[in-house]
Amino acid sequence: MTKPIVTCRGVSKTFGSGELVVHALRDVDLNIMQGDFATLAGPSGSGKTTLLNMIGALDKPSSGEVEIDGQPLSGLNKAELSELRLQKIGFVFQAYNLIPVLSAQENIEFVLQLQGVDAAERRKRALEVLAEVGLEGTGHRRPSALSGGQQQRVAVARALVSKPSIVLADEPTANLDSGTSAELVELMSQLNRDLGITFVIGTHDPSVIERSSRHIELLDGRISSDTRI
Amino acid sequence: MSNLKTFTPLAWRNLWRNPRRTVITLIVVSVGLWSILFFNSFINAWGESGKEAVLKLLIGQGQIHAVGYMDDPSIDRLMSPPGEPLVSALNAPEIEAWATRLQLPGVVVSEYKTLPVNVVGVDPEAERLLSSIPDKVVEGRYLKGVEDDGVVLGLHIAERLKTGLGRRVILMSQSTDGSLSEQSFDVVGLFDADKATEDFYAFTGRRAAQNFVGLNDEIAQIVFTIPEVDMLDPIIADLAATAPDLDVRSWKQISLFLATTDTFMQSFIYIWLGVVFSLMAIGIVNTQLMAVFERTHEFGQLRALGMKPRQVLVLVALESTFLIGFGVLIGIVLAAGTIWTLTDGVDLSAFAEGLEMAQAGQILYPEYDIPGFVVLSLIIWVLGILVALWPARRASKLSPVEAMRHAT
Repeated sequence: MTKPIVTCRGVSKTFGSGELVVHALRDVDLNIMQGDFATLAGPSGSGKTTLLNMIGALDKPSSGEVEIDGQPLSGLNKAELSELRLQKIGFVFQAYNLIPVLSAQENIEFVLQLQGVDAAERRKRALEVLAEVGLEGTGHRRPSALSGGQQQRVAVARALVSKPSIVLADEPTANLDSGTSAELVELMSQLNRDLGITFVIGTHDPSVIERSSRHIELLDGRISSDTRI
Repeated sequence: MSNLKTFTPLAWRNLWRNPRRTVITLIVVSVGLWSILFFNSFINAWGESGKEAVLKLLIGQGQIHAVGYMDDPSIDRLMSPPGEPLVSALNAPEIEAWATRLQLPGVVVSEYKTLPVNVVGVDPEAERLLSSIPDKVVEGRYLKGVEDDGVVLGLHIAERLKTGLGRRVILMSQSTDGSLSEQSFDVVGLFDADKATEDFYAFTGRRAAQNFVGLNDEIAQIVFTIPEVDMLDPIIADLAATAPDLDVRSWKQISLFLATTDTFMQSFIYIWLGVVFSLMAIGIVNTQLMAVFERTHEFGQLRALGMKPRQVLVLVALESTFLIGFGVLIGIVLAAGTIWTLTDGVDLSAFAEGLEMAQAGQILYPEYDIPGFVVLSLIIWVLGILVALWPARRASKLSPVEAMRHAT
């Protein structure tokens, strides 16, 4: 029996006030289970990114509760939320968002540095994870010297290196061509299968949705369907 | 500490992401500091030059008088020549030179005019070791000995008296019995100093001056100079202990104007520092705010990755520390280089007349003021970092979600 990594109970999020209030999420209940390779889809404004922000401890709900690994987020301050993200969550962003002045390997090691891992261990783990994403020998290159697909692989490696409970990816293939996109999805799927890493991917991309083991559809801030494939 | 280790290389590389902005900030900081350090050195040289010139004329670094003479410099407030213990103290190696003088208020009379003057009886041999007046004689000669009853006048007073070399003037002063003494003296030399000195002093031999007012061997003052100005206070204390019945004073107590000017020069440096720093602060805050604003998205991303607000603050503050520190180093090198090129002196003889009014020498010698370099550089560095904490704090306060919505 797998345990939930993320639990959302009655999560609502509103922006603005008075007549201009926007309900981004409405009373969302959701469990993301360990080992899930879940996609989160829906039209623009359906609340995908807002829900990912909640699950990623980047934002707090207006009402309801989010728990990550059994830890309720509502009582945590900014520094504690940062620590929780650092230890338990990996992020892959649409625009890769690598630190431009660091090499690929340094970008990966940076998260471990924040965790206080010593230099030898950092190097070892960074090289391992670079190999896992198929980027052996490119660790010394700066992001500007890598292709979009390579940068996104580095971003995946960075998300994985701290051995998080869950990896959240927001439109990870949106900036990639179809071939590179397929390779990236295959990589994430393989990491999920082989290493049991939990992925939640916000996407419109049918090729990503096809490979997922669970598909959650959002509409107007509510979960309209939640299907295990 | 681990934060520093993690963020130091990142902060350093971040500095060079926008080289133009970094270079502009470096120029602002380094030129600002250069101006502070150089002007500090220049103004010190100016102050020292003026101080040295004035002290070297007549005041010396310290003087000894009878108690009450400084308030009423009359013939009734004189003292005996120094006795053995005081002579020993004055001959100590810490004292460079010393001389006894008789100085009395009087008037000098020519065929055309009568003017007030201080009649100074000197020991010419001793004076040559501590006063610049003997070297400033431009016509005729200086005095030959304590018995010399010629008079050396300033060029300006000679002009006002319409007298000159080889002519005779009459000096008048109160004698020991209260009557007015008057005696004619040959003008044997004319000296060229600042107009105030030229107007107020007439020099003759000490013995001649004593004879002129009917004194035996009484004197008005002992003047001394020292090679190490830092030693002045202990030397003054030493002499005061040796001659408890006399009034021992440093130049600061004798010439309040000079002492105040000295303090004012130092204050001016700090006023200048305030002005320059205010301008620098505007530049630093502006560029750092721009740097933070441009990287808002990135800060959101770093926060998402798990950087704590305090760590963002440390990162941005480190960038400012490096940037301003680097600027400070360049400023120090520039200032040191400028001063080095001027160690042979800055010739301001073209402004001689104005400099004479300001009682400064015509050639200024800027020197390295190491404590000044250290203190002023540290002030700029620390204040610069403090100012840059505002943009850093702003960056640390960003919410990751809001920051990541910001366009890259």
